[in-house]
Amino acid sequence: MRLTALLAMATRVKVHPDYRYGTSRPWTVGAQRMNPPGKKRRKVFVEPIQPEDWSLFKGDTVEVLAGKDSGKQGKISQVIRARNWVILEGLNTHYRYIGKSGEYRGTYIASESPLLVREVALVDPSDRKPTQVEWRFTEEGERVRVSLRSGRILPKPMVQRRDGIVPEQWKDGPKDTSPDDALEKTYSASLKTFEEEIAEATGVVETRAGRRTFWY
Amino acid sequence: MAAIKAGRVLSLCRQFQKGLSISTVLPLQQTKVLTSCKAQLSAFRPKFCLLHINNMGTSLAQQCRALHTSQWRRGLEAFFDETPNWGEPTVKSGAPWTAKQLRTKSSEDLHKLWYVLLKEKNMLLTVEQEAKRQRVQMPSPERLRKIERSMKRLDTIVQERENALRLLQTGQERARPGTWRKDFFGRTFWYRFKEYPIPWYLNRRYKRKRFFTLKYVDSFIRRRIESHLHSKILKKKADLENKRKLQEKFSKLSATT
Repeated sequence: MRLTALLAMATRVKVHPDYRYGTSRPWTVGAQRMNPPGKKRRKVFVEPIQPEDWSLFKGDTVEVLAGKDSGKQGKISQVIRARNWVILEGLNTHYRYIGKSGEYRGTYIASESPLLVREVALVDPSDRKPTQVEWRFTEEGERVRVSLRSGRILPKPMVQRRDGIVPEQWKDGPKDTSPDDALEKTYSASLKTFEEEIAEATGVVETRAGRRTFWY
Repeated sequence: MAAIKAGRVLSLCRQFQKGLSISTVLPLQQTKVLTSCKAQLSAFRPKFCLLHINNMGTSLAQQCRALHTSQWRRGLEAFFDETPNWGEPTVKSGAPWTAKQLRTKSSEDLHKLWYVLLKEKNMLLTVEQEAKRQRVQMPSPERLRKIERSMKRLDTIVQERENALRLLQTGQERARPGTWRKDFFGRTFWYRFKEYPIPWYLNRRYKRKRFFTLKYVDSFIRRRIESHLHSKILKKKADLENKRKLQEKFSKLSATT
């Protein structure tokens, strides 16, 4: 049962248009328990923010403007675009028991609650105060976030890749193609089809004429 | 490729068999006249057969040697990972091939790459199956996903080139011919042609297919159109209602902030 549950986590899940997104990802067991097929919940209205206007990324330092921990600064650990949510590390927490079984009450942990993007603001690194941010273009043509108060550019936070690979420190394995070989151009445009070129390269000569077929 | 070679081998065998039958017929005809040569014949025929079998044997081996690549002598090692990786919880693997990189490669390179990827995929599938059998996690399952993506992109590139050439030479947008047809229920759909060895008027199963609509279906078609238009109107109304609600909720919010 647990193995199948694990496998179910790996497959891509199709969500219906009125799916209610929660803090668990749609392919997890918790989300599937919250949204079983056929369950209809009241529609949640999410403020329409265009993808190009979105300015909060994982790893950004933001300040909370409303709620229990208002005034505190924290790092974004998760972004859920479907509900305009950000989850900060250790802020806006409530306490719950996890891993309850039988008589054992479980472990008491602090779990973070999501905050709407309107309730947080990006922190300007020059004066460490919350600011409004706009997308602008630099001299080179690069699109960057600019703080409206001080005019300082807020660079996109460096997030470690999920597989832990650092591209600068990568060393090729025995089965990896070297960058030179991968980028080498061997293609020359010709009027031969793929099959004809392969036949020419391998020396296959087809002398048989196929029998007449009908397409209908 | 392998099927073609096998076919050639079979045809050769058939030729040999024909030779065998012809050779056996002649001595029989001869012995119809010379009855004293019966003993000789019985001794003769097996020898002839053996000769043929020997010939067939050597030619088959030669054919098979031409069929396999250099790997066949080593056995099934290609289905397994390199020995240092056995038992490792994770195996390092690089990035998959991107479509941009694959577009710069010639057809020969793509053809070779396809088979390299295929063999790697077979090896990874073996590892996956073995992990399932042992009821453990497969080490680095992302390798399989990377291979599948690379192969899909390769196929896309080959299709792109084929499409471009076909458009240039014939102007046909589709590789497979087809046409718009109405089925028995009055629905219009894109019917894709199939390749048959016999013409349509001799194909009994094809003639049983009905690509026409009878008169009594008209009322149902009308009802279907009506329901389609109704659902379009409902969707439009729902969209407008949605927009109004969003405006109400979030313009109020932006007004206050």
